[in-house]
Amino acid sequence: MRLSSVKPSTLAVVIPSVAVLATLLICAVFADWLAPYDPLEQSLMDMLQGPSADHWLGTDDLGRDVLSRMIYGSRIAVIAAAEATGLAVLIGVPIGLFIGYRGGWWDWVTMRAVEAIVSIPGIMVAIVIIAILGTGLHRAMFALGILYSTAFLRLARSVVLAEREEVYVKSARVIGASPRRILIRHIFLNIAPPLIVQVTLTVGAVLLAEAGLSFIGIGVQPPQASWGTMLNTAAAYMELNAFLAVPPGLAIVATVLAVNLLGDVLRDSIGRGIRVPAAAPKRPVQVRRSAGGARDARPDAQADDALLVDGLEVMVSPKGGAEVPVVTDMSFRIAKGETLGLVGESGSGKTVTGLALMGLIGAGGRITDGRVWLDGTDLLALTPKGLEAARGNDIAMVFQDPTTSLNPAYTVGSQIAEVLRIKQGLSRRAAWDRTVELIDRVGIPRAAERAKAFPHELSGGMAQRIAIARALSCGPKLLIADEPTTALDVTVQQEILDLFRDLQDDFGMAMLFVTHDLAVAADICDRIAVMYCGEIVETAPVDRLFAEPRHPYTSGLLSAMPHGANGTPPLPVIPGAVPTPGHWPEGCRFAPRCAFADAACARPVPLNGTDRMVRCVHARDLTLEAAQ
Amino acid sequence: MLRLIGQRLLAMVPLLLIVSVLTFSFTALLPSDPVDLIIGDRGSDEQYEMIRERLGLNEPFVTRYVTWLGRAVQGDLGTSFFNSVRVTDAVLLRMPATLSLTFASVLISVVVGLGAGVAAALRPRSWIDRLATFGATIGQAVPNFWFGLILASVFAVSLRWFPATGYVRLTEDPGGWLRSITLPALALGLSTSAAIARQVRSAMVGVLQQDYIRAARAQGLSARRVIFRHALKNALVPVVTVLSFQITILLGGALIVEQVFAINGIGSLAIAAVRQQDIPMIQGIVLVLVLVVMAVQLVTDIVYGLINPKARPA
Repeated sequence: MRLSSVKPSTLAVVIPSVAVLATLLICAVFADWLAPYDPLEQSLMDMLQGPSADHWLGTDDLGRDVLSRMIYGSRIAVIAAAEATGLAVLIGVPIGLFIGYRGGWWDWVTMRAVEAIVSIPGIMVAIVIIAILGTGLHRAMFALGILYSTAFLRLARSVVLAEREEVYVKSARVIGASPRRILIRHIFLNIAPPLIVQVTLTVGAVLLAEAGLSFIGIGVQPPQASWGTMLNTAAAYMELNAFLAVPPGLAIVATVLAVNLLGDVLRDSIGRGIRVPAAAPKRPVQVRRSAGGARDARPDAQADDALLVDGLEVMVSPKGGAEVPVVTDMSFRIAKGETLGLVGESGSGKTVTGLALMGLIGAGGRITDGRVWLDGTDLLALTPKGLEAARGNDIAMVFQDPTTSLNPAYTVGSQIAEVLRIKQGLSRRAAWDRTVELIDRVGIPRAAERAKAFPHELSGGMAQRIAIARALSCGPKLLIADEPTTALDVTVQQEILDLFRDLQDDFGMAMLFVTHDLAVAADICDRIAVMYCGEIVETAPVDRLFAEPRHPYTSGLLSAMPHGANGTPPLPVIPGAVPTPGHWPEGCRFAPRCAFADAACARPVPLNGTDRMVRCVHARDLTLEAAQ
Repeated sequence: MLRLIGQRLLAMVPLLLIVSVLTFSFTALLPSDPVDLIIGDRGSDEQYEMIRERLGLNEPFVTRYVTWLGRAVQGDLGTSFFNSVRVTDAVLLRMPATLSLTFASVLISVVVGLGAGVAAALRPRSWIDRLATFGATIGQAVPNFWFGLILASVFAVSLRWFPATGYVRLTEDPGGWLRSITLPALALGLSTSAAIARQVRSAMVGVLQQDYIRAARAQGLSARRVIFRHALKNALVPVVTVLSFQITILLGGALIVEQVFAINGIGSLAIAAVRQQDIPMIQGIVLVLVLVVMAVQLVTDIVYGLINPKARPA
């Protein structure tokens, strides 16, 4: 670890910690020279004095100099930490290695004994061992050594168990090498990092335990000066000289803190640190309205529009990077009772579009432009409360993975009933009855019984039916389905698609069906909008899109669709890869992968047309390959 | 749920047996002869033999263990070597103080820990988040008996808001009980609360990223409802496990903190027993403490099963 590569915040921890421990060691080693007085020298004339020029930290009940006792106490602390930790390693590691390697009966008995010891409060274990051995520094540290050896025992055992299963041990057997030698070498390599961390943890714990045991009078015995015994004295004379408790206490805190912090740094540098996601930048969500008020008027709104999206733009801020657009110039409409498929490869911005309509992009992103009307209501103009009221009642969403989109802690029925109670104001009873009806409606047999099941007790298809029932529980005008069949078994996919169609006939909601699968889209949608790099490249009714694609990307997608089971001829693929957000070409975003690209494609291309819309300057002159 | 409790209770039996063997067999390791401890140097040989016989020390080890265990199962943990007090009575007399202190500190650490943890998770890197992290780091390094001393010297000796020492039984005077337990419980509970806050925070941060949280928001449930009903219950699952360990540690810490506030609990009983090598008393105390720990584990297992349906046996 080179110093220049260390973060300043790490240095701010390491330097003081090392300084504290260095001071401790110097005091311990040179106590005889450093201490101004003999730590045991009593002077009854000077008892319980506060800090003074003669006695910097005052004197105790027998007139002994507190500073000198502190300095000698650091010697005790170092001895205590070294003895107990050393013993814990010497006892724990060999036994752990042995039982890990031997396994079987030895392992079983030892581990049960360890479990028994661990189930007793540690301090009580130490007390019992001290009862056997007697009091005093070395005996008490022996007790702590035995107590903390259990941690090292478990650590060593787990390293051996993990290494035994490693590939190189098995392959050593295959090539006839002695697995034991390899095992021993690898165990010693692998045990070092966690062992070091455990040692720092143990040193801290030992220091605290030594202080505690000495404080209650069964550790270090008076008149020997240990920080714990000094605190014992301080407790007795608290009313006369409260300051007595301060120096030993602070010394313990500083030492343990230094050891623990160094341990943390070690653990992090060994790579086990848990990183916390960066906080979202606090920025008011501000929708930039386009100049000239062009978007203030609803663009050719039609009476049967369920959803009208105009010029939607979404930006996200990746960790530590500048804000990049992920969705731009997004405009489409969905008529009442219609299903629009939003089709594109992963990363094209389909899901973000869905979430943006719900106002649920999350902390890392925001809507920067555009308007969204849901049945005449401007969704982006709503207050957070207003949007919250609209969610569930007017607009709802079904997610990709039903097993993770249902709360594992509640029964599926209660999750639907909750929505009905909160959003529709139904009584508990009425909500439950309606829940069972809904579960029955989405085709789950024995609905009343299944309502009481937890998500993990249901199959994926079953759970998705529940999620659909919940989304439709308040009769929303628009249902956004985000890859709702992708996570499901192929045989179940068709059932769920049929269910969507069936429910749409019944509930009459409009649907935005997000999928990467053109075949699925063809099955369920009336119209399809094809997305590429955060924008729509083509919109058309399903049959016309398949019969007569206008955009080269659509054509490429169509010809990449598998038609038969035998897979011949091999599927053509679109050359190149989808550029990631922030790396989109200036002009037509598909141009670098397009066989027809020329100079005209270097400028941004608008989405043209009315019934069929396409974003390609060559749309009129190309004859593209259609679906077969 | 009944099945879960039954399973856990059954699983405790072997552990209790092992603990009883360990605690009992340490008598064999004692360097001193208990009879000498009882009669001192003045006893005659007949007296010596009589007491040895009465204590059953002439029997083989296994016989003594079985006899002791048989009585222990019936609630008889033997008699102290020193003042012929029944161990069961002595332990039961001291237990309420220790348990009050332990559970008051558990309450403090849970209430403060949950509150701070949730607040920290909702606002990462805010002052409360930093305070929880800072508190947990400091809390690990501060000996709780020293913290108790400081609290006592400020709030009891200087300000006289609370009594510095002593324990008032809850049944005698609930107000006095609360006053006597507040400082020691704070000394024990606050440092643990920071550790719990960190646990709650990391669990909560993880849960808030889950799909079902977004799905609940997509149903139009309020942020408050989603956080406290949907997220918290799931975030508590790992916290409950940690809490079970923490309670064991707090129970041990209580034994020492009791000494600061001169509370006559299990701590002083154990210390006296160790100094006098009062074997039956030590055995009894260990066994009862293990029972308490196991009861705590049983309760946390039940709570775990309640908040985590996947943990329930099918």
